[in-house]
Amino acid sequence: MINVRKEDGAVIVDLLVDRLDASIASNFRNKLIEIIKDGNTLIILNLTNMKFVDSSGLGAIVSGLKTLGARGDLTLCCIDERIMSMFRLTRMDRVFKIFKTEGEAISSISH
Amino acid sequence: MITLEKRIKLVIDSNLEDVKLVSNVVNRLCTLGPLTDLEILHIELAVVESVNNVIKHAYNNERGHEVEIIFTLYADRVTFDVCDVGRTMDRKDRKETDKSPLEFDPTELNMLPERGLGLAIIREVMDDVAYSSCHDKNTLTLTKRFIVRETRR
Repeated sequence: MINVRKEDGAVIVDLLVDRLDASIASNFRNKLIEIIKDGNTLIILNLTNMKFVDSSGLGAIVSGLKTLGARGDLTLCCIDERIMSMFRLTRMDRVFKIFKTEGEAISSISH
Repeated sequence: MITLEKRIKLVIDSNLEDVKLVSNVVNRLCTLGPLTDLEILHIELAVVESVNNVIKHAYNNERGHEVEIIFTLYADRVTFDVCDVGRTMDRKDRKETDKSPLEFDPTELNMLPERGLGLAIIREVMDDVAYSSCHDKNTLTLTKRFIVRETRR
């Protein structure tokens, strides 16, 4: 479901599936929280592959953000414009820091 | 009177893993109407949220029950009837609240919603949302009206 790698002090979590929906949201949430509980505080979620997200999927990402709290940053990147419309529809575009590219996301964390 | 509607019924098991089947079909069916890609994507989301709610709340996440989705295409609108024979939605949940759950403060981390946005999303996307329960069958009817777009002559 995900791939985890480290780049420039940040942990990049690549979503490998194209749908982040209710069928996998709980599992995804648990994996994200596990990464945070391992002590990782600068996390970039790369959503290049995501073609559909429902409220359960968004809720799972929000859970990660709330678990991290003030200790760190959970940033999103590489979101397809159609999927961005779903973020806007649900007002989640106001919740997360979202960057067009992974490079921009990494730069934002390191500065 | 000649009716020009087209109708198709889908039935899936109350299994969240099968919702993507509905999602894909809804997306395709909506291309039969004069809807934009974005409208179709949002309608797909609304129907997915409806079906998710049936599985989670009407059937308590239990497999082995039927979820029916009836797509009807009219000249001026498209409707989706999402039907179940499970637990009826509470009256308090059917009513639209003064403040939508989507109107949260994005800066208040502890108040960010992790769940419960489904119905709000459905109401945001669709033009009409109606719920009825008759003879143990519950139906959520979602309607999206077509916008007549001016074309150049």
